[in-house]
Amino acid sequence: MSKQVQDAYIVSATRSPVGKAPRGMLKNVRPDDLLAHVLKAAVAQCSGMDLKAIDDVIVGCAMPEAEQGMNVARIGLLLAGFPDTVSGLTINRFCSSGVQAVAMAADRIRLGEADVMIAAGTESMSMVPMGGNKPSFSPAIFEKDENVGIAYGMGITAERVAEKWKVTREEQDMFAAESHRRALRAIESGEFKDEIAPYTVNEKTPDLVSREVKVKSRVASHDEGPRKETSPEGLARLRPAFSVKGSVTAGNSSQMSDGAGAVVLMSEAAMKRFNATPMGRFLGYAVAGVPPDVMGIGPVKAIPKVLQQTGLKQDALDWIELNEAFAAQSLAVIKELGLDTSKINPLGGAIALGHPLGATGAIRVATLMHGLKRTKKKYGMVTMCIGTGMGAAGVFESL
Amino acid sequence: MSATPFLVRKVAVLGAGVMGAQIAAHLVNANVEAILFELPAKEGDPNGNVLKAVDNLRKLEPSPLATAARAGLIRPANYDQHLGLLKECDVVIEAISERMDWKSDLYKKVAPHLGEHTIFASNTSGLSINQLASAFPAELRHRFCGVHFFNPPRYMHLVELIACKETEAGILDSLEKFLVTNLGKGVIRAKDTPNFIANRVGVFSMLATIHHAERLGIGFDTVDALTGSLIGRPKSATFRTADVVGLDTFAHVVNTMKDTLPNDPWHKYYAVPAWLKGLIDQGALGQKTKRGVYQKVGRDIQVLDLKEQKYRVSDGKADEGVEEILKNKNVSERFAQLHASNHPQAQFLWAVYRDAFHYCAAHLADIANNARDLDFAIRWGFGWETGPFEIWQSAGWQQVAKWIAEDIAAGKAMTTTPLPAWAADAARVGVHTPQGSFAPTATSYQPRSALPVYRRQPFSDKLLGEERQYGTTIFETDGVRCWHTGDDIAIVSFKSRMHAIGDDVLDGVQQAIEVAEKDYAGLVIWQTEPPFSVGANLKKTPAGGARPASKPSGFGKLLRSFKKEAESLALKAARQIGVADQLMAGKLAEVEHLVEQFQITTQALKYSMIPTVAAVDGLALGGGCEFVMHCDRAVATHESYLGLVEVGVGLLPAGGGCKEFAMRAVADGKGGATSFFIQRYFKAVATPEVSRSAEHARDIGYLRATDKVVMNRFELLEIAKAEVRALAAGGYRPPLRQTAIPAAGRSEIATIRTVLENMLAGGHISEHDHLIGCKVATVMCGGDVEAGSLVDEQWFLDLERQHFMELLATEKTQARIEHMLKTGRPLRN
Repeated sequence: MSKQVQDAYIVSATRSPVGKAPRGMLKNVRPDDLLAHVLKAAVAQCSGMDLKAIDDVIVGCAMPEAEQGMNVARIGLLLAGFPDTVSGLTINRFCSSGVQAVAMAADRIRLGEADVMIAAGTESMSMVPMGGNKPSFSPAIFEKDENVGIAYGMGITAERVAEKWKVTREEQDMFAAESHRRALRAIESGEFKDEIAPYTVNEKTPDLVSREVKVKSRVASHDEGPRKETSPEGLARLRPAFSVKGSVTAGNSSQMSDGAGAVVLMSEAAMKRFNATPMGRFLGYAVAGVPPDVMGIGPVKAIPKVLQQTGLKQDALDWIELNEAFAAQSLAVIKELGLDTSKINPLGGAIALGHPLGATGAIRVATLMHGLKRTKKKYGMVTMCIGTGMGAAGVFESL
Repeated sequence: MSATPFLVRKVAVLGAGVMGAQIAAHLVNANVEAILFELPAKEGDPNGNVLKAVDNLRKLEPSPLATAARAGLIRPANYDQHLGLLKECDVVIEAISERMDWKSDLYKKVAPHLGEHTIFASNTSGLSINQLASAFPAELRHRFCGVHFFNPPRYMHLVELIACKETEAGILDSLEKFLVTNLGKGVIRAKDTPNFIANRVGVFSMLATIHHAERLGIGFDTVDALTGSLIGRPKSATFRTADVVGLDTFAHVVNTMKDTLPNDPWHKYYAVPAWLKGLIDQGALGQKTKRGVYQKVGRDIQVLDLKEQKYRVSDGKADEGVEEILKNKNVSERFAQLHASNHPQAQFLWAVYRDAFHYCAAHLADIANNARDLDFAIRWGFGWETGPFEIWQSAGWQQVAKWIAEDIAAGKAMTTTPLPAWAADAARVGVHTPQGSFAPTATSYQPRSALPVYRRQPFSDKLLGEERQYGTTIFETDGVRCWHTGDDIAIVSFKSRMHAIGDDVLDGVQQAIEVAEKDYAGLVIWQTEPPFSVGANLKKTPAGGARPASKPSGFGKLLRSFKKEAESLALKAARQIGVADQLMAGKLAEVEHLVEQFQITTQALKYSMIPTVAAVDGLALGGGCEFVMHCDRAVATHESYLGLVEVGVGLLPAGGGCKEFAMRAVADGKGGATSFFIQRYFKAVATPEVSRSAEHARDIGYLRATDKVVMNRFELLEIAKAEVRALAAGGYRPPLRQTAIPAAGRSEIATIRTVLENMLAGGHISEHDHLIGCKVATVMCGGDVEAGSLVDEQWFLDLERQHFMELLATEKTQARIEHMLKTGRPLRN
């Protein structure tokens, strides 16, 4: 059971709009710059706060190399103009990195060793591909049959989940179409307005006629992924992307994306000191492992674990952000746990909104906290499956 | 020769239609700056129309581009904004629609903008050059002419060059030099007669075919079975060719003949048959509309049946007896049998030949300068292996002339016009002689062109009746002939079928290297005709020596989609790796010895004391590709198709191909990105990738940055010799043997294996494919060693041999090889 000495509160939660990778609106935005942007935006929402009081900045990133390498957390916070006394840590648990950062930041407060923490996530899949720039695998993977799952790409694992949990192509396509429908509706009705910090993209390109460097400037304020033209019929025409006779397509999988998110957490004492109002309270977080070749089923192990930890019943959850890595695994998780689909991803999920790997956790915490507040609901969860076979789930309470 | 050299810095192409855009593509293929003009777009980017045409080039099959990236090198332009650019263009090729009024308007618009020396050439296929010239300002007409490319211009060798009355002779000579050397084309000087030479004769031949097919009630599919590769013409034969060309285009050419040749004895046949008009009216124009004489329904090819007035499954075949006749190598016997046979198919073929011969003889004086020009025009423009006069001559001129005269007298021929006197001359044995080819207007024999550009072609395209001696023999074995052309460069040519490499070729090449080291400045590997080589032939040469290689039909090659093409190339190559004999006898050791000999030979090409140059044209597959990779330099024609295709039969490149790729990856990475290049080269071998051009081969990595691309295959030998001479003059030393090559190592093997694992799990590859892939990765990464371990070349060669032998010992590889030998198709197991 929890040994916490104080509660950890979410004081602000914000995110960038999510761009499509590798050819979307943020393709030329460096992930460290985008991180600096969301860090600035997150602290701007707690105006009374003294930046020097930040105990640490923890940033999740799934492929922490190249443009997002070199401890991107420290680089990002310095670029954000934080005092150089503020420290930074980059962490990686693939797709759960962002929510993992929130949990670790909360735990520092809950343990009483920190009062002001920032948790964030950043990922540019335009700049750093899945697997990184130079993937390299251990020959030992192939020495034991059960380890071959380590070698499997995410698409193949989704196929295995679809097969094992009997998720049909039609179900997947319906689910994907619904994700787009919800996302578009949410964008149209401005439901993401509060959580998104618009980013001004300045791109420098050579003009070969004038022989000058041109600066093109535009503001990115909406998620780029959702498509109006998506329909179950259109999706049904796509070819399987990973397996010749499979059911997983580009259309019922999450999109590759660029994005960042950041969350400010405080103890009650710090909130008083800086005159901050809490959005919500962090209640708990759990991770669990599953066989790597069916990694998508991970939340099935993590969700009961965190519910037990927090003492909450599944029914008590009002809003679940279940990361749609693939429709196949989302549906398998829903079936297996008997989750209430009306409570899952009411504003759409990664199939429509995109999935900037290590940033997604932080981004969805922002969606959840603002969503619970707006709808005046109480308990929410951010959960996802994780490559090489894990699941993560974090529980939050809106205040 | 003119005093000032004619330099072609830039070429403008006016009109971005199918031909214009493809001509521009071929110009950039040949490193000629090309500006492509089209009407300005009504809305959006004024260059929108051109950009769309350029984009479309990327989708065309077979590709008009050497590599897709070449499309970006075509400079787009429009008549509103960019006429000023014409001033810088040395040649302007007009390729807009065949409308006299449109062309005339365009000429008025562009003429004031042309440079002082600009040559202006119209790519018309039907309109009279003199009539077009009259629309051109009089003071510029000396720089006006016709330049008729054939579709698709990258692949069709023929360009007809047509002067107007005022064209200056020097202009044509300059243009001919450019077309031949820079664009690689075969130029024929044509007269200004309707449809010039190739289309005039080729289209008549198609009309005669249609006429006799209808008369004898032979279905279109059967006609195509009879008039394709069986008689040395493209596989697409008659009606499939018409579908590919476009039925509307075909009809347009026919109508031009109808309108412009009222006094022609065959005029009544210059008509579009009712059924063809019907198809065109329905919008069934052939391939471009997916329906014509043929249509594809699902997997079935269907053909229009005139009797039933509907499409049916296409299954027409040549009669076995007729096929037997056509396979007779003795041409005079073949014609005697065709002539004597009562079979309607034989009568049909004789009639088609007879009327084509009759037509060619009757019109030769009007349309061509000599019989050679007519034969080459048909060969290069329509893909016939031999021209009509060559066929007639080899069938026995007198006998055939007598039969034609009899048929004319009996009213069987399409017209009653007698054969011209020269053709009926009782002393005539042919039209092609060692001294030249018959020119009816001068009644003399004209030698080949004396233009300096042809000095670059010591062995130009062969013509029946001409003498052909390939230099002086240095030595000759069962496998190779080593020879020289009177200078200090040794040339080695393979004698095997499709230039496959067996032990006799390996011995021969090793011997050639030894001889060259002793007495010559360098060695060129050159074949008297393509392909360069389809790869290793581990089968013993059959008794009686190798059969002469048959020349692959150029046109047929084009008309098939390239994907199919590449596949069939892989097949041809694989078929040569016939190890079945040894396998059955359990002679694996013998095979291993051959593999070792292969490696010794390729290493000798690399480390001999004289420079070695591979002169590549056409296919260079498997072991052939490995030969190319080991020579000091490759000189390859634009139409070179290279590939390490061994995995197709369950094997891997073991003649040093994997080793070269491993070493190139290290060199390319310059100590950094070896892994990136290893993965790229792995893909080339494992997929396997066959290049679609020499430039594409360079992109894949089979050719190096220092290797040369040659546009005209008849100049290949001269350029290869120049290259070897330059290397020798530079004080050639072989490269030092590398003894410290960093191997990519075991982690890289595992990394590549993860890709294979996913493909296997996704059902994209079989277990055996997976095994082969793992072995290719193992060899290319230097085996189960730590990354960066230093090894020598022999280390890689030993791995190649070991894993080749291990694959050969598997049942599945043996099944693949046997299946390939039996059926010619790959087995997926």
